[in-house]
Amino acid sequence: MLRRYTSLYWFFLIQRFKILMEYRLNFFIGLTSTIFLQAAGLLGIWVIVSQVPDLNGWTLDQVLLIYGLLTLAKSINHMFADNLWVIGWGYVRPGGFDRFLVRPINPLFHLLADRFCHDGLGNFLVGAALVIVSSINLHLVWTPLNLLYLIVVVISGGVIFIALNLITATSAFWIIESIPVTQIVFNTHEFARFPLTIYPKAIQLFLTILIPYGFASYYPATQILGRDPGLLAWLPPFVALVLAVFSYRVWLFGLKHYGGTGS
Amino acid sequence: MSIIHVQDLSKVYRIVEKDPGLAGSFKALFRPRYKDILAVDRISFTIEPGELVGYIGVNGAGKSTTIKMLTGILLPSGGAVRVLERDPYQQRVPNARDIGVVFGQRSQLWWDLPLIESLNFIQRIYEIPPASFKRRLDEFAETLELKALFGTPIRNLSLGQKMRAELAATLIHDPQVVYLDEPTIGLDLLVKERIREFIKAQNRQRNVTVILTTHDLGDIEEICQRVIMIDAGRIIYDGPLSLIKARFGKFREITLETASPIGLFALPTGAEIVQQADQRLTLRFDRTVTTASQVAAAIMNQLEVADFSLAEPDLASIVKQIYSGALHA
Ligand SMILES: Nc1ncnc2c1ncn2[C@@H]1O[C@H](COP(=O)(O)OP(=O)(O)OP(=O)(O)O)[C@@H](O)[C@H]1O
Ligand SMILES: [Mg+2]
Repeated sequence: MLRRYTSLYWFFLIQRFKILMEYRLNFFIGLTSTIFLQAAGLLGIWVIVSQVPDLNGWTLDQVLLIYGLLTLAKSINHMFADNLWVIGWGYVRPGGFDRFLVRPINPLFHLLADRFCHDGLGNFLVGAALVIVSSINLHLVWTPLNLLYLIVVVISGGVIFIALNLITATSAFWIIESIPVTQIVFNTHEFARFPLTIYPKAIQLFLTILIPYGFASYYPATQILGRDPGLLAWLPPFVALVLAVFSYRVWLFGLKHYGGTGS
Repeated sequence: MSIIHVQDLSKVYRIVEKDPGLAGSFKALFRPRYKDILAVDRISFTIEPGELVGYIGVNGAGKSTTIKMLTGILLPSGGAVRVLERDPYQQRVPNARDIGVVFGQRSQLWWDLPLIESLNFIQRIYEIPPASFKRRLDEFAETLELKALFGTPIRNLSLGQKMRAELAATLIHDPQVVYLDEPTIGLDLLVKERIREFIKAQNRQRNVTVILTTHDLGDIEEICQRVIMIDAGRIIYDGPLSLIKARFGKFREITLETASPIGLFALPTGAEIVQQADQRLTLRFDRTVTTASQVAAAIMNQLEVADFSLAEPDLASIVKQIYSGALHA
């Protein structure tokens, strides 16, 4: 099962790149535009952190590590699950979603595999660069165990992003145009660019329990930096798992309401 | 053993009425206003392996909705469907391996990929063994005349070429049941003819069960032995095509254009008015009672006719006649 889907994903990916190569210019524009967008975001962080020299005791490099982790997690969502954004106008409205439901593979897999989004590669590179640069500046030592932790939390963060988008994307089965709903939830990840301790308790709780982007950035960062990490620093994979299961349930529930469009 | 069982099947679409814009989206999400549309209303039928069934009805009758429930796309609101002993919604993946679906209005092929790559894609998705894939490919290259098109991206194919490619993609995994929702829409007569031949041949050679919706009664006449007619979500006829033909085949319609506004005239024997406008008159007559030339002559004696044409009655008029009891007569 897993082998079948992995090899199928490769096949989808190869086809996707064949198509992208037909539109080579778009490919490079997409790739570089995300890097430019990221540069703008970084500039914002730099301005804030340098204006406020003491961000609850967090230095610029430490904040950049948080931001790097968040960007890596976000890039996973961007690369592998970007179709969750466009499910409404791209698939439900024009009727292409019907086709996914009559093919002998999981419809959600089909939807996600249908479009690997190479723009996310730009995000991934920026995120990786941020983690590398900040850890050099911070003289972090990457033991194999630390490295394993990093990989696990980045993947968990990616899953958290994807699961939250999956929940909001499911609204397309009722209202078709799901982007505004996804946007609202997704945008709260911006708060998770900073150490959560700078926020009032309510926002901290919000980003930990309700919309747990905190597990994609701040909590793992406390562990990597050794800034009195608590139990929460070990939770990202579990939060990701629970959220993944829950979001898939929501998705299946939504499918029952799927009515497609006329004709 | 029947291959398809449909029992009291219904579908209600619950649509959310939504105001435009962002605010509208949110209002719809949190305080939805619903409207229910009963698209399919307690229909029942069974279909035997190898049958060729025409599923017909006017626009909005509920044909596509039925097909979508049979294929496992939609969850029925009531009743039961079994296809090859399975519930197509609950057992979607195994069901999908054994069926093929054409939606005439949209393609399942990858717009930017050459046809052969699209077909390779489908081979991977359906896990078709290479040997039988190759065999089918060679067969379709011949029967659907696809050989010259394999290298062409789908976006560059004409409508007729696209539909031939679509049929190849739908049948390449050797399905037992094929649902064709308006496979001849927008095609010219020559392509239609070829597609009808192909469908019949597939049925003959592999005993594929075919369920076909169309607005073209010519498709039905050439392909199907059995007709199920649906109107406003209810089945109004299920039986042999020959009965429909015997009842309605004897009717013809004649439309006459007159040079000046139509005044008073006497109706020729065996004819009745279908529609009358200022300078346009459509009559229906029973061929067993009278002939086209007798009807035309009778009218021409009374009115100044500029032009006239003959036609078989269309679906809408057959539906109307069924309601008025034509099949029980
Ligand atoms: N996704 C949907 N949401 C709401 N109503 C729908 C939807 N799809 C179809 N309907 C409605 O259900 C009824 C049946 O539609 P359906 O598409 O099954 O008809 P049809 O017989 O296939 O018609 P056509 O010949 O035009 O294709 C129509 O009143 C239609 O407006
Ligand atoms: Mg239809």
